[in-house]
Amino acid sequence: MVPVAGRRVLAGASVLLALLVPVAASTQTDVRTGVQASGTVKSPLLLASFRSDRDAGVAREAHDVVRHDFDFSGIFNVTDVEPLTQKLEPNPGATGTVRVEGTLEGDGDGYQLTGEVFDLATAESMFRRTYPFRRAETREAMHRFVDDVLEALTGERGICETKVAFIRGTGRVKEVWVMDYDGMNPYQLTHDRSLALSPAWAPWGTELAFTTYKRGNPDLYLFDLKRGASYPFSTRAGPNIAPSYSPDGKWIACALYRDGNSEIYAISRDAQTARRLTRNPRIDSGPSYSPNGDQIVFASDRSGSPQIYVMDSEGVNQRLLTLEGKYNDSPRWSPKGDRIAYAARHDGIFDVVVMDANGQRPIQVTSGAGHNENPQWSADGRKIYFSSTRGGARQIFVMNADGSEAIQLTRGDECFNPAAGPRPKRPGVSRAG
Amino acid sequence: MRRSPWTLIFLLAAALLMLAVPQGCSSRRKSAPPAEVTPPPGTPESTPETTEEEPPRPPSSTEDENAQARLQDAFFDYDDASLRDDAKQALEADAKYMESHTRLNVIIEGHCDERGSVEYNLALGEKRARAAKDYLVSYGIKGTRVTTISYGKERPFDQGHNEEAWAKNRRAHFAPK
Repeated sequence: MVPVAGRRVLAGASVLLALLVPVAASTQTDVRTGVQASGTVKSPLLLASFRSDRDAGVAREAHDVVRHDFDFSGIFNVTDVEPLTQKLEPNPGATGTVRVEGTLEGDGDGYQLTGEVFDLATAESMFRRTYPFRRAETREAMHRFVDDVLEALTGERGICETKVAFIRGTGRVKEVWVMDYDGMNPYQLTHDRSLALSPAWAPWGTELAFTTYKRGNPDLYLFDLKRGASYPFSTRAGPNIAPSYSPDGKWIACALYRDGNSEIYAISRDAQTARRLTRNPRIDSGPSYSPNGDQIVFASDRSGSPQIYVMDSEGVNQRLLTLEGKYNDSPRWSPKGDRIAYAARHDGIFDVVVMDANGQRPIQVTSGAGHNENPQWSADGRKIYFSSTRGGARQIFVMNADGSEAIQLTRGDECFNPAAGPRPKRPGVSRAG
Repeated sequence: MRRSPWTLIFLLAAALLMLAVPQGCSSRRKSAPPAEVTPPPGTPESTPETTEEEPPRPPSSTEDENAQARLQDAFFDYDDASLRDDAKQALEADAKYMESHTRLNVIIEGHCDERGSVEYNLALGEKRARAAKDYLVSYGIKGTRVTTISYGKERPFDQGHNEEAWAKNRRAHFAPK
């Protein structure tokens, strides 16, 4: 019943970490060069069907969510197995392989799953935790379980509990929508029957900044998801667009048109202070904070066509980052700070490129399938959400950060401007500021 | 006829505009949240759109009704907001028309083709709209008669995905105010 001692978990995890390095931290080693779109090493994971005392249906449902989440993580090769019937024996030949077992108890409205992870090589339990949930919360509870397992095994929490905001258009009306990290459970957030664009999450995950035309001008509004209401934030004449929160949540960088052309501003979250950061007669737009908040990457056509620039968050030390390509736009800083994703146009086609934060080693991670734009990092930096026209109208896809395993998440009406949300704050962890 | 439902909407829209315009002139117009609460999702918005679907205007001016047909749009090259010769010709004709129709005010909508990011195109569309406005003003039209709005690549005139469609979508479009 007692969770496994931390040291043992870490010892087991380090075995896995060694295997996971190419995926989890491919950019921190100089070993990997060239095309990254193939050949990522995955760890073997045996997933047992869940035991249940009464409700086999819910056990199966819970198992399927867990299976889906492990598959989606992109770091495991999952094999379905039968549950253990006897004590696991050490198997030194199976180094790096883990086995996940689950036991469901309860019925009706109250369930609890006890999940356990074994290191096959040592037969030791690496992780064990119990998740009480109600029937309607099965998905959420299993997402939490998988995120906990990922954290125990790799040191990096998963993103199964995160949400993705995006824009969905029907005719002339475009609204903000929100879906689960894997495209499930999409729902419409705004009902303005107007044009909404460019949603961006606040770091605490219950607020979105976005542009809306509902008052006749492209204004920036903040949507409070707890209250289900939106408030005007910047309604200066002309475009108020491209919001991006600072990591401490105190500032929202955006592009305003109050100086006769588009300039980047940082506006305090309480809307009391606006700092102008760029001074240039050309278009400056699309800001994105570095994860430590010290710098802002942005797009500017000051050299004649859009390119990626970086500056200190006070607006000084502006310099060009992209050395390749005539047209580079929509930069987004990775959550670990080491990489920047952007959209590049080559021969009329847009594709997602990932480069080191200093502008070195640009690697194109999408190719050969429509226009691929709007890259947005998942909270763990392992995934990139983007919009693509590969199937016709724009839809939202997600792929591993190296470009592998792209999956379509939205269907039907045109969807674009994905914004991957932060991980939910965990109970007992209070938000700074 | 069409008057009864639309008159109310128009009056509401006019009231909103009167609220919005004086603030719009202030460079420090900003409001700290929560200053205005909009209805929660699912509740129909009671505020009519002011620019999206322009309500039919009361028959106060026949000038306005003809204006959209008379005013010519200006077209642009890709990723460019500078006025081509044909754009200048169109705008000169527009300026003459507005000169002789002194009660006519216009909104110039800046539009872009589908290539490039949402955000970059919003900025580019505004640049195109303002380039057209600046031309009218330099011709002698009062700036207060012309407002601009950018729709970026969000309101294409032609839904096609080729140069023919793109060329039509890169424009400064005149709409009566």
